Amino acid sequence: MYKRRVRVVIIGNGVAGMEAALVVKSRQPDWDLTIVSEESDHFFSRTALMWVFTGQLSHRCIEPLERGTYERLGIRRVRARATGIDAEGRQVEFAGGLDPVPFDQLIIACGSRPRPFPLQGSDAAGVGHFVTHQDLSWLEKEIVGGPSKGGPPPRPEAHVAYSMPDSPYLERPVAAAKRGRLAQSPAVVGGGLIGIEAVEVMVNRGLKPKFFIREEYFWPIAIEPRESTWISERMREHGVDVRLHDEIDSLRTADGVLTGVKTKKGEEIDVDCLVVAIGVMPNTDWLQNGPIELDRRGGILVGEDLQTNVEGVYACGDCASVAWFDGSKRPEQLWYTGRDQGRVAGRRVCGERATYKRPIWYNSAKLMDVEYTTAGIVNMKVEREQNWFFEETGKVRSTTRIVVQDGRVIGFNFLGRRWDHDLLNEWIVQRRTLEWVLDNLEQARFDTEFVPPLRIPEPVKRQPLEETAKSPVPGPTVFNYA
Amino acid sequence: MDQQGQNGLLKTFRQGWRNRSPVGVAIALGLIGFYLVLYFTPHFEPIAKAMGLKNKWFLYGFLYCVAMVGGGLRYLYYHGNSRYNRLRIATNIGVQIVLGFSVPFIMHLSGSKDFYFSYLWPLKFDYMMPDTLSQLPLYLSAYCFFGSLIAVPMLAVFLGKRWYCSWVCGCGGLSNTFGDPWRHLTATSTASWRFEQVTVHTVLILAVSTTAIVFVDFLLGTGQTGLSAYVYPLRYWYGLVVTSVLAGVVGTGFYPLFGPRVWCRNFCPMAAMLGLFQKFGRFRIAVKKDMCISCGNCSTYCEMGIDVRSYAQSNQSFTRASCVGCGMCAHMCPRGVLKLETVSKTQDDKGRQGLAVVDF
Repeated sequence: MYKRRVRVVIIGNGVAGMEAALVVKSRQPDWDLTIVSEESDHFFSRTALMWVFTGQLSHRCIEPLERGTYERLGIRRVRARATGIDAEGRQVEFAGGLDPVPFDQLIIACGSRPRPFPLQGSDAAGVGHFVTHQDLSWLEKEIVGGPSKGGPPPRPEAHVAYSMPDSPYLERPVAAAKRGRLAQSPAVVGGGLIGIEAVEVMVNRGLKPKFFIREEYFWPIAIEPRESTWISERMREHGVDVRLHDEIDSLRTADGVLTGVKTKKGEEIDVDCLVVAIGVMPNTDWLQNGPIELDRRGGILVGEDLQTNVEGVYACGDCASVAWFDGSKRPEQLWYTGRDQGRVAGRRVCGERATYKRPIWYNSAKLMDVEYTTAGIVNMKVEREQNWFFEETGKVRSTTRIVVQDGRVIGFNFLGRRWDHDLLNEWIVQRRTLEWVLDNLEQARFDTEFVPPLRIPEPVKRQPLEETAKSPVPGPTVFNYA
Repeated sequence: MDQQGQNGLLKTFRQGWRNRSPVGVAIALGLIGFYLVLYFTPHFEPIAKAMGLKNKWFLYGFLYCVAMVGGGLRYLYYHGNSRYNRLRIATNIGVQIVLGFSVPFIMHLSGSKDFYFSYLWPLKFDYMMPDTLSQLPLYLSAYCFFGSLIAVPMLAVFLGKRWYCSWVCGCGGLSNTFGDPWRHLTATSTASWRFEQVTVHTVLILAVSTTAIVFVDFLLGTGQTGLSAYVYPLRYWYGLVVTSVLAGVVGTGFYPLFGPRVWCRNFCPMAAMLGLFQKFGRFRIAVKKDMCISCGNCSTYCEMGIDVRSYAQSNQSFTRASCVGCGMCAHMCPRGVLKLETVSKTQDDKGRQGLAVVDF
């Protein structure tokens, strides 16, 4: 097909980009492969930044591949911010006067960036996010004074000369340095997973953060009030000031340093470090001027083959808008979807006919010290949805919620125990009844050894189903996995 | 309340003494010095006598129990919310106090030769030597002989190596209690895996061949063959290098430098033997599909340096010969991806394919 060595450029060194690179190199070891990353020299697990903060892990621990992998596979690396794509000339352009890099095939896997706080003063020292390496470094300086004995990541400043002022990979100004003392009254805004992670690491440092959650309860997108109450309880036990249904109205700063916030309820609170965790959005502002087609949220529109509107240019991971089961096109901001999309993009680049189809939704997480597993349709207010709920107390505390439509199980939500979502998905596809699922639930248990089994009393198994759980999140009204 | 999984975030890499700081190195030097004095000088004898103990080895046994109880309490403070961890550590400490110290002590008081029920060949090399077997009471000889050759392998096939390495063994017990603060220092590199495979099996071959030579010499009659000239030096050097230097000085002294399982991982012949049976037995670490976020908690806190994450990330349930089944990978995993289990491998679900990627 090509007379010379094929040049593949991958923008992004995260899980999607790296998986794509590994696929390409496994099939075409001789191709000329370049990975562009502004953020870091080495592929790392972004979801693990919270443990690097506390010192549970080091930077090296969160790198899934041994250092030296790039050299061993012959992958070239560029540490710079891409500023655009020249579709005609087939090259990627960079900031800082770096020479453009030509490509035959391009994979965009540039991920997400934190959603900026739309308030005056959010550029002050002491306000930041908790998404990137540089955010971690900033928060470490604000709260602990510096990195752990594991040290900083390799070449933390290598990209600074090749960056742009609005880049999410530049470190935020540190208020602690200007103030002369570490943060003592931190706060977090945004009731999602990054928000609770930021809260947890602050608790680990013995602080009592304020946690501003706009919604009526924590994480309404995934759990319902009964489940959420437990998590809020846990946070309060650890001294977190959980402020539900509360928003920050304005920021108070002095000499460019954050000093406090004013809430929508009119309360003035002293805050010396604010982590803004109000979501992430596709990191695609550098593509606003074309030629790649974006959706209105900034996601790169791709088909099942993950190809963009430009031939030979693919997108995968957090930045790509893929088709969901309900027909909508949105990015999927999960680790395993990024990995799977990266693999598909890599195979497409190599000329294979792989396609990406969104599987049944499933995920797991840990909220404070409570395990969470979900599978199928939950919290989406589908038509004729009914809920079966059981709260286990005693030696193990757990909640089990099973969502039923027309007598068939369509979703599961669990807290407090570990479950094998793979089997749960199978049951959803098999359209099992609630009675059958309850009788066989033990099979899907993934608890560690010696954890007592979940015992559901027979009358509870036959308890009347509840109508749709109240959820403020609008969702699809019908679904079809077939 | 019972909970599984790590409760609260750890500060491992923010504590210098756990990360080869001058204090950490000083602890290592202190331990190495302790073992050199213990093994190669008589300085501990008077202290043992003053405490009313027969010899320095009983003093060592006593200190061993103290270190395990102290380290065990620390371990349970951080990880005791999990029932597996509680049962495992309690059993291990109990075995050490009862079989590793009290029973030999009482046997000694009652005038018989002390015997350590919790150690068997090839770890306790002497317990398969013909002269030892012939001197012991019959029931103890039978315990040594059939224990080593039948019970140990059978249990490893059905329960995995962990029944010994993480529940019974004193060396493993000290690693998992006193040595726990340094478990993240175990090397995870591919190079360290290659090194381990060579060294641990070399020691196993040495142990087996030395035993075989001694046995053949004994059966044919000492002095009747040319083997006799090798028997004493072989036993002497095996004892010095493997039991004293590698198990004691290096094995424990290197805790604060290279993690608590240096001996078990690289040199222990018992671990090597159990590992071979485990590999073909029922024990495995099951991986929950797609849920791994590659955070690295499992690989970091694996004291045997297994890159658990690479298996978890590729959705592959696995059995590694070196795994001692301490369960810390499953405990540290923030997503509940890992589960230690003993299953008949014919029920394995390896054949399951992913839902996400569709091939044509």
